[in-house]
Amino acid sequence: MKLSPNKKLDVSEILKGLEHYRPRRKGWTWRKKLKDNKIGPFVYKESSESLKKSIPLPAATYFENIDPQSDLVITTEIASGRFEDDLRRMRMAAWHGADHIMVIRTTGQSHIDGLIEGTPEGIGGIPISRKQIRATRKALDAIEDEVGRAINFHSYVSGVAGPEIAVLFAEEGVNGAHQDPQYNVLYRNINMHRSFVDAAEAKTIMKDAGILQLDGAHNANATAKEAWKVTPELFVQHAINTAYSNAVGMPNDLIALSTVPPTAPPAPKMQYDLPYAVALRELFADYKIRAQQNTRYMESDTMETTITHVLDTLISRMTSTDIQSTITPDEGRNIPWHYNNVAGVNTARQTLMGLDGLMEQVELKKDGSLRENVRELKERAVLFLEEILQKGGYYTAVEQGQFVDQGYFPERKGDGIVRDPQSGDGADTVIAREANYGAPVCSHFGNNIYAQNNNKTCDDYGGCTLCDPSKVQYIDELDAPDSVEKRLEQPLADQAAGILRPEVEKHGDSIVCVTLFVPESPKVAEAAALEMARHMGLKNPEVISRRVMHPAEGSVFEIKGILDVAINIEKLQIPTGEEPLSDKAIEDWVRPRNVQVVAATVGEDEHSVGLHEILDIKHGGIEKYGFQCHDLGTSVPIERVLDMAEETNAQVVLISTIVTHSDIHKQHMLHLHELAKQRGMRKKLILVAGGGQITEQLARQCGMNTGFGHGTTGRDVGSFLVRVLRELEAE
Amino acid sequence: MSCVERPDDFERRRKKLQGMSDEELHHQFWSLVEKIVEPVIEEARSHTTPSIERSILLRMGFSSIEANALVAKILEQNLLGHGAGRLILELAKAKQLSIHETGTALLAGQYWEELPV
Repeated sequence: MKLSPNKKLDVSEILKGLEHYRPRRKGWTWRKKLKDNKIGPFVYKESSESLKKSIPLPAATYFENIDPQSDLVITTEIASGRFEDDLRRMRMAAWHGADHIMVIRTTGQSHIDGLIEGTPEGIGGIPISRKQIRATRKALDAIEDEVGRAINFHSYVSGVAGPEIAVLFAEEGVNGAHQDPQYNVLYRNINMHRSFVDAAEAKTIMKDAGILQLDGAHNANATAKEAWKVTPELFVQHAINTAYSNAVGMPNDLIALSTVPPTAPPAPKMQYDLPYAVALRELFADYKIRAQQNTRYMESDTMETTITHVLDTLISRMTSTDIQSTITPDEGRNIPWHYNNVAGVNTARQTLMGLDGLMEQVELKKDGSLRENVRELKERAVLFLEEILQKGGYYTAVEQGQFVDQGYFPERKGDGIVRDPQSGDGADTVIAREANYGAPVCSHFGNNIYAQNNNKTCDDYGGCTLCDPSKVQYIDELDAPDSVEKRLEQPLADQAAGILRPEVEKHGDSIVCVTLFVPESPKVAEAAALEMARHMGLKNPEVISRRVMHPAEGSVFEIKGILDVAINIEKLQIPTGEEPLSDKAIEDWVRPRNVQVVAATVGEDEHSVGLHEILDIKHGGIEKYGFQCHDLGTSVPIERVLDMAEETNAQVVLISTIVTHSDIHKQHMLHLHELAKQRGMRKKLILVAGGGQITEQLARQCGMNTGFGHGTTGRDVGSFLVRVLRELEAE
Repeated sequence: MSCVERPDDFERRRKKLQGMSDEELHHQFWSLVEKIVEPVIEEARSHTTPSIERSILLRMGFSSIEANALVAKILEQNLLGHGAGRLILELAKAKQLSIHETGTALLAGQYWEELPV
């Protein structure tokens, strides 16, 4: 399946032939790091191979539209509940630099004892099933071909069906997964014996498939009231999962710690988060680190969140993180909207490129408070471990509430999470293996009579599914009414009818967001803002962000609501303008030539700003390309404009005409055209008019070569002139 | 039973660690972790669960629905400690059936008394 940048992802095509689709590779892929990588005018110290297709950062327009890529993998978490909508979001994120897509599971999947099949709709995530995974992997294969970089697909091997999900992921080419039995125990109340026994099998399957493992320690930050106080325990949680993984044979380079800088401003973030990150890097020097951005202390203000996330990313860069995980700036107020996934990815991309080469120039101090704090954290962690052993081991320590206590260990608040080793989901399901226990499959952990043979354990019956994928059993759907095929009916019908609606999450959701400042006290302003949104025609308006500018002077609100409007694409009037030439292309053509331009605001019109924007070098006007501009100023008669054109042997005349009463702007254009004709100058002159009410169509009707309205830049005008002049020169 | 409240007595407790170099402290950290993990991994080596057994049947080519039903029945018969995969493989050999035919027969109620426990 091949994607074309100008065509939407065709979900029907993805679903076609899915029963035969096989992943083309297994295991995790890192970016190809490049040292001293020359891109445009710069040399990057910490970059990786560029993409074939991407959307650069907005400011790239000043730097030859370069899109350098950092050497860190960038993660985005995507799950709206409908995987078919998520695929489009994944494609957008990939174009903005994401190469690790994490798919969150639907609420409650942890407690489902077995695999889910088909494509039921999820809540807050996707019900992870073979069909959804296979379809997603197929889409990602096409997307990675389009952007030219491997995309790692990731989900969760947790809950009471861990080993089965691990098999599914290994068979279907999932590249990364969370696997941490402590997560089940602490946050899902799954029986601890069951969790750890299952985990050994799941980890064995994952390591043989080259799946990168993330642990679950970051959840302690997310749940603690004072997240910076659980840091000693976090080292312990990381270490238990890491040592357990090593014990089942998982190599160090497949073990990634999932960490989060614990605080956010106005907390003095660097005082707390930097020593923590340094201590983590040092204690776990042989392992990978995936740093997430802070979610614990985020409110509904997306700008505030973004700034915290920039600081998080700075810490990642200072402590040699391997994966930068992003959090959408709107996660504090709703299930992420798709353009906010892109915003989150761009926060990481922009920050990392800005920080390129930082650690070549600065270093962390080898003494002082940083080292003292790092040492203290490590010692507190060692004391935590000692206490686990004193209590009689991991299970008793959990039973006695040693984990997720709000105290800064060894301080204790007595409010830790308490779990009984004999209860929880899946209690009494751990069964001792008999002496003749056997499991005739690959990637099995522990006692097994078949492992004593010299042959592969699955040779007796021609190979297991990990050796012979043709044996994998594919189930399409179990519940047809709750399936992707059913859900696609509406989007396909809309597409066929050429109907468009706004969306933030799912096809046709029609949600829009407006920003309003209301100059009143907060409560009055909020009521007024909602009323204004209703007047705009928004249904169910809801304030999703409020920020007081001043208790009496006003507040700013973001309001979401449903804009129930279906636009028919065929009835749209779409301008057919072409993309302007690049700054460089314009300058390269103009500079060696002597192109004379006469410009003026004509008639009795004192508006000079518009023309300045187009001409002046300091406003980004066309002078910067090497056009020789003669600005005659304001209220200039048409005759005078043409006199000057004659004198300077100009090829271009730009007139600005802002005043429009009695259609005076039209008369100016017609007059210019007619007079130039009378004087025999029209053919050698390019006549261009600009102004608030000018359109290309109107200007042409009035004899101009073209016209420009609001929002025009020097580049637009320069580009137009070069295109026409090039043609004239060719003739 | 929850942990009782305790003030931060870190300064007192850290005394025994302060003489250690960073390297020695790291070593201490990891050797303690290994001691914690050891008994836990031993349990995993010598025990199984319904999910592990279902994952084995998936790898032997059964669908998730078949694997669920087979493991549930084997558990009912108190035979899971022998390994669902081994029971089916050895029965298949004895009956000269394919793995899948054997599983289907068991699901139809056949051969249960002939399982090689």
